[in-house]
Amino acid sequence: MSAATASGPFRWLVQLWAVVVKEVRQTVQDKRIMALIVIAPFLQLVLLGFAIDLDVDQVPTIVVDMDRSRESRRAVAALMADGSLAAVGTAGSPSAADAALDRGAAAVVLIVPEGYARDLARGEATQVQVLLDGTDPTRSGIAGGAAVRYFGELGFSIAKQRLAAAAPDVHISTIDVRSRLAFNPSLSTPVYMVPGIAGMLLLIITTIVTAMGLSREREVGTLEQIRVTPLPTAVLMLGKVLPFVAVGLFDVTLALTAGVYIFDVPIRGSMLDFYIITSLFLLTTVGVGLFLAAVSKTQQQAFVGAFLFILPAILLSGTMTPIHAMPEWMQPMTLINPLRFYLEAIRAILLKGASLSDVPVQTVALLVYGLLIMGFASLLFRKRLD
Amino acid sequence: MWLFITRVAAMAGKETLHIRRDPLTLWLGLALPLFLLILFGFGISFDLDHIPLAVVDQDNTTESRELRQLFTAGSEFIFAGALDNPDDALDAFGKSQAHAVLTIPEGYAAALSRGEDVQVGLILDAADANSAQQALARADAFAQLASAQAAQRRGLDLTGSMPVSARTWTRYNPAGRSALFLVPGVTAYVMALVSVLLTALAVSKEWEQGSMEQLFATPVRRSEIVVGKLLPYLGMGIIQVLLVLVAGTWIFGLPTNGNGLVVALGSLLFMVGMLGQGLLISIVARNQMVASLTAVMTAMLPSMLLSGFMFPVENMPFPLRMLSNMVPARYYIQVLRGTLLKDNGFAELAIPLVLLAAFATLMMVVSTVLFKRTLA
Repeated sequence: MSAATASGPFRWLVQLWAVVVKEVRQTVQDKRIMALIVIAPFLQLVLLGFAIDLDVDQVPTIVVDMDRSRESRRAVAALMADGSLAAVGTAGSPSAADAALDRGAAAVVLIVPEGYARDLARGEATQVQVLLDGTDPTRSGIAGGAAVRYFGELGFSIAKQRLAAAAPDVHISTIDVRSRLAFNPSLSTPVYMVPGIAGMLLLIITTIVTAMGLSREREVGTLEQIRVTPLPTAVLMLGKVLPFVAVGLFDVTLALTAGVYIFDVPIRGSMLDFYIITSLFLLTTVGVGLFLAAVSKTQQQAFVGAFLFILPAILLSGTMTPIHAMPEWMQPMTLINPLRFYLEAIRAILLKGASLSDVPVQTVALLVYGLLIMGFASLLFRKRLD
Repeated sequence: MWLFITRVAAMAGKETLHIRRDPLTLWLGLALPLFLLILFGFGISFDLDHIPLAVVDQDNTTESRELRQLFTAGSEFIFAGALDNPDDALDAFGKSQAHAVLTIPEGYAAALSRGEDVQVGLILDAADANSAQQALARADAFAQLASAQAAQRRGLDLTGSMPVSARTWTRYNPAGRSALFLVPGVTAYVMALVSVLLTALAVSKEWEQGSMEQLFATPVRRSEIVVGKLLPYLGMGIIQVLLVLVAGTWIFGLPTNGNGLVVALGSLLFMVGMLGQGLLISIVARNQMVASLTAVMTAMLPSMLLSGFMFPVENMPFPLRMLSNMVPARYYIQVLRGTLLKDNGFAELAIPLVLLAAFATLMMVVSTVLFKRTLA
């Protein structure tokens, strides 16, 4: 069946099919490209899903117990039992522990002063010193916080006991926080990160493959050969773009499957909504790819262009760290980022059971960006072809 | 020897021309590092900051308002509005209006005045587990503070005579700034990225366009082609490192008291390794699309995610920790953080330096051997 001989209203469909088949054959032919766009994202997702764990616990700690009393040992053991810190050794003096901090053998030094138990018994104030390796501020913040909180609570309860002993009829309130964790009660990082990684990989793969695939044909001159055939430009472009959209949908399905079965990512919303929003997002990524192919002369340029789009898009999307933690002047920059809206939407759909009507801003933004960039890129590409 | 130098110089000159004629590559090599430094330095912050907190105040007393103020006075939580009912929390989370909801029960002030224990509720949007966990720890600390204040209000000063407390001293990065932690990582990341990508693309382009065969026909030896092609990128890499470190010092106040010699040696070894990896990819791929995707998958993502740049390696499961041992960026980051933040010297950093040298040697040897075998 040749595209030229078909007639009637289905003619363009037949032509489209022919272009798609050509494109798919061309891609499937190179097994390495297939591996890179199908298997690699899957492996990356699994790998990164395990790698991105911001949970800080078991921070290596050296204990310098200068008191060596029952009280000091009990306090150290109770602090370690909390799990944030893990004793990896002891040192006789603070300076020896200091050297361990320099070497990186430990990140925390806990120093219990001499006379700790004696001061407690006498009702005098005593202070435990915590030396932190501040290279990684998150880690030192959590480790320091755990120590301060533990000794703070200990101090408060001892003070309360003393007061109760001195004045039995006076009571002091303890204000407690009773927390409830919505959506992710086990506080698992992958549940949040895996959708982020999936969006990131989707962006990388579809933009690069589209941009480079099309610019390659221009570079080697096969695009001119196709121009000689009786194919309308619109059909040609659609046929070339559709397989990339299909690749994206396939990749996202694979990623979701891995997320659900390996990382227990819940699917609380509707799959239809998920695929609709993904298609809208692909409109943008493939559109950017098309745009880059239209403006660059070589694959190298197309790739560099794709890169300059992908990196800021990832960084300003809230994939890794929340947008509200960025400085205020930077936050508005995320509003032109399609990945930001896509991640917000899929996280809401998957984790919170939202429907598209719960994320109207995200849906409309993706639709508008998609149509704008796709329309603009098609016009430009068409102009370049003619 | 003299011939070797002239031929290498000729190759390097040819490659420099390529780079100069392609302004995009030049931009990628020189502007991208700065751009990334600023984006990462400002944009990535693991600090608990500005978590939107909605409040359900069922007590509506001076005390309950004080508790709300206590929570939102710092930079950790910002007040995102009042809710009538704790049941509205999920709705507010779904619309991203709030990430946490504090519920102060009716009778809060009354219980405090009687000295009874009281519970406040905190509902967290735990989808982002990291933020939720930090918020939880902060809330506990605030509650502890509120308890002490409540006692003080009744004339019982507990805070002044706390029998035990812990005092923390933070070394190396006393202000606890994420930027100081990230800048060395960004340096490694940018160099890994740009060096691997540029060489992979530049060399695979020659294969794809057939000019590599032409080069083979010239009297230039294979090893000379390798060295000559890589030299300009090495030069560009050195400029990048300097640029990023100077900008890091200038913009983010990165301390510069470290051992410059260790930094220079580490940077050189790391760069040679990265260029070698790019070369190896291009020899195996011989196609720009395959080369660039391989570079992204083997250099861009691992250097960001398995290097300890942002995510601590110690937390990873065992197989990944093993894998991260093979990511050279990990050692380079160790060298940079060690020298710049901790004032380490050769003694503390011998192991990462040796491993960087081993990786560089491995990459150069394997790629030169493979390169020699092609078309032979």
